[in-house]
Amino acid sequence: MKTSATPGGTAATLADKNGNARTWHEPEIITGNQTFASITEKIASINEGKTPTGWYIAFGVAAFFAVALFAQIGWLFWKGIGIWGLNQTIFWAWDITNFVFWVGIGHAGTLISAVLFLFRQKWRTSINRFAEAMTIFAVICALLFPTIHVGRIWVIYWILPFPNSMEMWPNFRSPLLWDVFAVTTYFTVSLMFWFVGLVPDLATLRDRAVPGSLRQKVLALFSLGWRGGNKQWKHYEKAYLLLAGISTPLVLSVHTIVSMDFATSIIPGWHTTIFPPYFVAGAIFSGFAMVMTLGLVARKVYGLENFLTMNHLENMNKIILVTGTMVGYAYGCEFFIAWYSGNEYERFAFINRAFGPYWWAYWSMISCNVISPQLFWSKRIRTSIPAMFVISIFVNIGMWFERFVITVTSLSRDYLPSAWKYFSPSIFDIGMFIGSFGLFFTLFLLFIRHLPMIAISEVKGVLPQADPHWYHQDDHGANGHSVNGGNGHGTHKNGNGQKEEELAVKNGNGNGH
Amino acid sequence: MQLNSQTYRLSDTGKVGTMALAVGVIGIVGCAAGFYVDRTHFFHAYLVAFVFWVTLGLGGLFFTMLHHLVGADWSVVVRRISECLMITLPLMAILFIPIALGMHELYHWSHAGVADHDVLLKAKAPWLNTGWFFIRAGIYFSIWSVLAWMLYNASIKQDLSYDESRAQTMQRISAPGMLVFALSITFASYDWLMSLDPHWYSTIFGVYVFAGSFLAVLSFLAVIALSLRTQGVLADTIRLGHYADLGKLIFGFTVFWAYIAFSQYFLIWYGNIPEETIWYQHRWDGSWKYVSLFLAAGHFLVPFVVLITREAKRNLFVLRAAAIWVLFMHWIDLYWLVLPNMPHAEGAAGVHFSWIDAAAMLAVGGVFFWFFWQRFTANAIVPVSDPRLEVSIRYTNA
Repeated sequence: MKTSATPGGTAATLADKNGNARTWHEPEIITGNQTFASITEKIASINEGKTPTGWYIAFGVAAFFAVALFAQIGWLFWKGIGIWGLNQTIFWAWDITNFVFWVGIGHAGTLISAVLFLFRQKWRTSINRFAEAMTIFAVICALLFPTIHVGRIWVIYWILPFPNSMEMWPNFRSPLLWDVFAVTTYFTVSLMFWFVGLVPDLATLRDRAVPGSLRQKVLALFSLGWRGGNKQWKHYEKAYLLLAGISTPLVLSVHTIVSMDFATSIIPGWHTTIFPPYFVAGAIFSGFAMVMTLGLVARKVYGLENFLTMNHLENMNKIILVTGTMVGYAYGCEFFIAWYSGNEYERFAFINRAFGPYWWAYWSMISCNVISPQLFWSKRIRTSIPAMFVISIFVNIGMWFERFVITVTSLSRDYLPSAWKYFSPSIFDIGMFIGSFGLFFTLFLLFIRHLPMIAISEVKGVLPQADPHWYHQDDHGANGHSVNGGNGHGTHKNGNGQKEEELAVKNGNGNGH
Repeated sequence: MQLNSQTYRLSDTGKVGTMALAVGVIGIVGCAAGFYVDRTHFFHAYLVAFVFWVTLGLGGLFFTMLHHLVGADWSVVVRRISECLMITLPLMAILFIPIALGMHELYHWSHAGVADHDVLLKAKAPWLNTGWFFIRAGIYFSIWSVLAWMLYNASIKQDLSYDESRAQTMQRISAPGMLVFALSITFASYDWLMSLDPHWYSTIFGVYVFAGSFLAVLSFLAVIALSLRTQGVLADTIRLGHYADLGKLIFGFTVFWAYIAFSQYFLIWYGNIPEETIWYQHRWDGSWKYVSLFLAAGHFLVPFVVLITREAKRNLFVLRAAAIWVLFMHWIDLYWLVLPNMPHAEGAAGVHFSWIDAAAMLAVGGVFFWFFWQRFTANAIVPVSDPRLEVSIRYTNA
């Protein structure tokens, strides 16, 4: 039994019954024969070089819309939420749609950083940093909408339960209050996770900065005295694992609570038991689409093809296909059960969605969310950059429409036909939605400019060189140790070498038939 | 029990298969007696037992397809066990016959003329009618049998020679397989379990049954592998790292099951619409209340607390006990889904465990296990030529 000495990638070689070598290859995660030094150089130089003109232009546009958003919010506080297109029947429309839309976007970051970490998906290291950043910025945009929806903004602190002289408490039975807890917890944990992951990279940037410069001082402050010592790494990895464990239930809980904003009511089309897992699947679906959109642009602009390889993109497209199909399954279940229930209100709610006045929104949702990701069954489309870019944007459009369809179609036609109304957005509905994109991109551009958008230390951990046995390959070829990496941090204990050899011998002999 | 180190086949297995078959026969005799003593109870008990074992077959199918789809390394060493579980699905089609014969006892909606007086059943008649019910069952079993057979065959052929393309073939089958699997298990759970109360509906029901089924198969894999280990079989192939991973998955899917179960309960409780809450009311009547509470504690809290630590998942005694417990709770779960819908005399609401329940489990289980064991011993008990096998054996999960 021999280990093939391929640079990078993992390979295991077994002899078949005729003694011919057979090799199983896993593709390399990071391409281009990177070294530890070349990775640091590549990622850190993005933050250290001169700011490109294109960045200023993009930042100017994004900041303009962000400022416009805050101007509109000022007007909203002055006039009240009547400046939106809301009416007596539809008391919730684009504001809640935008809230759910942005919270959903955030979920991919948590899934990538926590769930994929627990599942030892090493390819996650190339995308987790900017996906986590995206999570934080998306949650900021999301929190904005329910906050400004309250109307009397000056008493917003009433949503927090604290002992007060009025002896007044929020309604603990309201899912809207659970949202406050769920989303703020989510924000706090995501921020912590993101920051803990950043510490070693901030220290790298600190050590590369001009000594004594302000930049170095700021970086030194936030890198918390990181020296990269053995003990520090040990603590770091434990903290990382624990945070991943804490974040994993949050992937499910946040959107579950959001779904309960609707599902705890008894409105047909809202009150249905599949909502919690269905919302979670939809959130991951939309989040991955956004990671894809942003990732493709960053990859092109900063030349990150060796880090965000076609393999990464294909994996993400597969997740988009799976979650998109789950969402399609939920649409189907809802429609079937509405019919199966025999309940005329349930049936009406769904027929009305598909063929009522909002048919255009429903079919936009179906074509973008259910049909467009199905194209990823084809490997050619799954590996075509223009195709995946377009589909990722379609998915985002579709997921916005999904929340709009759920919210507005059920409200617009309730039990009393004389109260039926049609919702038309006002200029402020549209302006604030665009403004939230402005805010999101402003924050994201600042992040790309000032922080490493790829986790330098984690990417190094998945290089073949990070395996403790990699350097010994020539010494004892009999053990193909490179087959088993750690969790992406390059720590890896191997079992008893003697025993492994015995096993391998047994296995090699065990193929005759 | 001997493992041939050349062919990786089990020999000298004693009388495992014969004993399973004997248990099955005893169960069948018990079932026959039960049929004469209490026909209604027998059919309900049989439905529970049937669904219990069929969900293990379906769980095996899901595990195998998932393994191929994600290209997992670690699970190669337990794959043959899950494959032999899924290949029982064609057999389960035959074991469905008693349910077809017991339609009248089990499904209120199948009574002639019942829809004339019931506006909801009238509205549902295009779906809930005997003919279409049988055709659907035929479709489910055809889908499952074809998928299981294709994957099983490809895997056995893979043993014969080293050929990487076979792994791809199985992956290609698994992708669309997953899609039809999801749809068929959903509709099968609507048909066989949800329609026991034909007025009631819940969109999450299919996911609930799936969650229980996957959790059960993970536990079953752990139990089988650990039992082989006590005989010294595959002790250095399925290693601590593999058990730790099975333990993590059992823990994770315990939480997932609880999440789905809670979502369904909580939204119905909160909405408080009588036509929905009645289903839980039936499970709160009389002594059913204690079964419901036991289900919440036993299916979630116990495995959650027991398996939460790293040490527990690596302690094979604890893991085995937890896995057996989870399987027992899976049976309680199905019992709790089915039996409260059994017609009972006025004022006699409550759980009435009977020897017939045990007889039905032994009957279906004995035949199931005999067939499983027969397939398991017919070939190598690990996929010996799988390209990832070596990686899987080496897997330490430090």
